[in-house]
Amino acid sequence: MAAKDIKRGLFGMKRLEVMDQSGAEAIHLNSLYLLENMGIKVTSDQGRQLLKDAGADVDKNTKVCKIPGYLVDEMMRKCKRPVKMASRDSKKDFVLDGRHCYTCTDGVGLSTIDLETGERRPSTKKDVGESAKVVDYLPMMHMYNPLVTPLDVPEHAHTVHEFQVSMDNCSKHYTTGSTYKKEEAIYQLKMAEAIVGGEKELKRRPIISNLTCTTSPLVLGMTTDAAIEFSKKGCPPLLMAMPLVGATAPMTVAGATLLGNAQVIALATVLQLAAPGSPLCYSSEPMAMDVQTGLMEGLFPAANMVRAAHVQMSRYYNIPIFIGGWGSCSKEPDVQAGYEKAFSAFIAYLSGADMTSGPGLLENWMVLSYEQLIIDHEMFTMMADMLKGVKVDDDTLALETIEAVGHEGHFMGKKHTIDHAREMWQPMVTDGQPYKTWKDAGSKSAADHAREKAKEILKTHHVEPLADDIRKELAAIVQEAEKNIPAK
Amino acid sequence: MVEEADKKAILSELENSVKNLQEEEAVEAAKKALAAGVDPVEAIEDGLAKGIREVGEKFGRKEMFVVELIYAAEIMAGAIKVLEPELKKAASKRNVVAQVVLGTVAGDIHDIGKNLVKIMLEAGGFEVHDLGKDAANELFVEKAKEVGAGIVGASSLMTTTVGMQKSLVDALRAAGVTAPMMVGGAAVSEEWAAEIGATYSSDAGRAVDTAKELAGKGE
Repeated sequence: MAAKDIKRGLFGMKRLEVMDQSGAEAIHLNSLYLLENMGIKVTSDQGRQLLKDAGADVDKNTKVCKIPGYLVDEMMRKCKRPVKMASRDSKKDFVLDGRHCYTCTDGVGLSTIDLETGERRPSTKKDVGESAKVVDYLPMMHMYNPLVTPLDVPEHAHTVHEFQVSMDNCSKHYTTGSTYKKEEAIYQLKMAEAIVGGEKELKRRPIISNLTCTTSPLVLGMTTDAAIEFSKKGCPPLLMAMPLVGATAPMTVAGATLLGNAQVIALATVLQLAAPGSPLCYSSEPMAMDVQTGLMEGLFPAANMVRAAHVQMSRYYNIPIFIGGWGSCSKEPDVQAGYEKAFSAFIAYLSGADMTSGPGLLENWMVLSYEQLIIDHEMFTMMADMLKGVKVDDDTLALETIEAVGHEGHFMGKKHTIDHAREMWQPMVTDGQPYKTWKDAGSKSAADHAREKAKEILKTHHVEPLADDIRKELAAIVQEAEKNIPAK
Repeated sequence: MVEEADKKAILSELENSVKNLQEEEAVEAAKKALAAGVDPVEAIEDGLAKGIREVGEKFGRKEMFVVELIYAAEIMAGAIKVLEPELKKAASKRNVVAQVVLGTVAGDIHDIGKNLVKIMLEAGGFEVHDLGKDAANELFVEKAKEVGAGIVGASSLMTTTVGMQKSLVDALRAAGVTAPMMVGGAAVSEEWAAEIGATYSSDAGRAVDTAKELAGKGE
């Protein structure tokens, strides 16, 4: 299924708004106030210089930059619209027009629940490739963000290895979730250019985007340098705020929303100064504190409400949003994982999120579960089906068919039913069998079905390989990158 | 006599119209069969029934939907209606595995599952006498005697009507009907079936297998 086939809001479905319009305005105005009066600490030299040249009041010693509100407003208007997310296979390109919803894998774990043994073990480059292959197969997954960091490659160059093995196994859009250094960005972009055929083509068809983190409270770190490289090449950075409600952000949803929003629009200002008119996306992956233990949980209701409020803010600025993490604190693909993920993802999409990352990880984004990846895809397909809204026209009202069936009849063998049957949501791993059939088939849970499905995909799914010369070129760039990316 | 080549073409038109869910084409093909003098029994068995069997198999492999299976059965029924007048006059008779008397028990009006079983049985070569829903025990007994039933099938969806299956078995046996009894429906379990001396099938596909095993056992 082509990404553009996934439609929501086309038939009059309204977005959920968790604040009224004056609430959104208050978040914006107070963000401007904070940035102009308190300022934001920018540790990136390049970032500070750009702000200084544009008229910000920059303190050399504290690195705090006080950014005038008019500058932020002006830069927010410069962001490219709409944003296109291209893919290695151009048939899987998609455009973020505010009316469609897409999903991306979650990132970035450090261990994998082995598909064969069921045991946890450190993740490898092979895991990145295999999970990418599963994502290539799953019809309603649109982008791949490496689910795990490979621990069997040189640590300083892991991002280029991730990109290399992902491109070998997945023809969909790629998001890098852990590119922190400028050099990593430069080499990944070089690889992307090799794949699409040059700088100009990459700008036209950005096959890679960069999830870039701001730091709460109110810091733009060294990752800003990497994001600037992506902006210059026309590959959208996804500007992420990760306020920890009650810890690195106020305990209230509005306060955490404000803080995160100020960080995002400050980084957007820097990036638009570096590359005016370049594409970028708003992004948010808040967590909330368990007030009893002090542990951080990504899917507590407060964190989900910050997500929804940030979606509303992205609409306020009319830029797309990538909502991070409908993860789960659960340790295995179980009931808790199901309800945490379902609530978190659904409120984000109901609010109008263009993209979310969520499928595949457990334990607060620490561990990859292939079973969960398939189950999460199933959840997304269910959500996407509901997000279409209700189309009301002569055909869908089915008045003539109702009359033809008459009293006490049924609709199962009617032409109208057949004509619409293929639109009905269909399960991949959800078990709907009666007890006896289910028991005879081995009493399998959704996770059992998902495990079998993942094994089947890995055994049978064929990914169109990269051309030989491109593969060679990528290998050479990876080698060069290993030499030149600094260890720290 | 109809030319062999023409007959073959007409039979495959009948088969394809069911297989491809083409309602009007099925009626047209049936009319063509009559006009060309094709034996109506052949038209059903080597044409329409072949089509519905394939739909049934595809349904079993999850390649077609249940609503498509039902639609195919309705298309087939529509074509048989065209053949009916000739069918009555035909010298040859349909090759029937067994006569099945089928219904939803008294007090229960849920018949979608029962209808599916009917379609699958007919596709599998059984002749099904459908008593519909909320069918009284006396109706089952009467029909079973009339047609010499090889199998009696009873469905109930509600826990409040499942007991009726037992009283139906008792009524049949009291009246001297020895045909094996098949039961199904959401309220029924394998244990319950065993208790009342019947055989359980959990879905329409399995009902055909069960019926084939039971066919002939009643004598």
